[in-house]
Amino acid sequence: MGLEVKKEFDKNKNVWILKPMGEIDIYTSPSFRDILLEMINEKSVDVILDGEGLIYMDSTGLGVLISGLKKLREKDKNIILTNIKPNINKLFDITGLNKVFIIKE
Amino acid sequence: MVEAANQNKGDIIKLTIPAMAEYVSVVRLTSSAIASRIGFDIEEIEDIKVAIAEACTMIIKNGEKQNIDINFEILADILNISVQAKYFVCQERDNKVFDVYDNKSLSILIIESLMDKVECESCDGIVCLKMMKKLRVDV
Repeated sequence: MGLEVKKEFDKNKNVWILKPMGEIDIYTSPSFRDILLEMINEKSVDVILDGEGLIYMDSTGLGVLISGLKKLREKDKNIILTNIKPNINKLFDITGLNKVFIIKE
Repeated sequence: MVEAANQNKGDIIKLTIPAMAEYVSVVRLTSSAIASRIGFDIEEIEDIKVAIAEACTMIIKNGEKQNIDINFEILADILNISVQAKYFVCQERDNKVFDVYDNKSLSILIIESLMDKVECESCDGIVCLKMMKKLRVDV
């Protein structure tokens, strides 16, 4: 399945929209990390991660999001997760990360 | 549901992969297929798949060139899985200090939450993570 990541900058809302399509695991998370950190380095604004096309994520994917959030928090910015599938949402609940990230229905 | 498991009671399935990131998806697919064969429901199949993949991820993170052996043992209403490798530093769950920004035990936290029983053993220089998932019986 692999991973394809679409990103765009919404000028009106001044946010990044990030759309990972596929699976984020130990094989694909390095490229996901590069894309996320590159975006944050380019513009430190809120990142909206649209999980509509994301079907699987493991602890390495969570680790990438945590490192991205850590960088953004220095600038008082956030990562907001939307359209997250129940199987992935379960991992955020288990790990307590549901209290760290902003997760919208 | 238990009928399917009874039919395959005592069966053992073995899978060996090189400890490389690109093979974890193969483990996920195989695990899902076995769990489905036994009669676990969709959420339980996902739990099993995620737990086994996390165990492999822990081993692959060590960066050693080696193989990972995965054994599936089907019992009447139980699926036993063991994931073993020579260079395998099994994470220990730390309940006291929970720094989400520096959590080094995400994998074991996920595995222990999703499986019914988890234990890590070391024997003859091989480290083995044993996991058990019980088949729920609808009454």
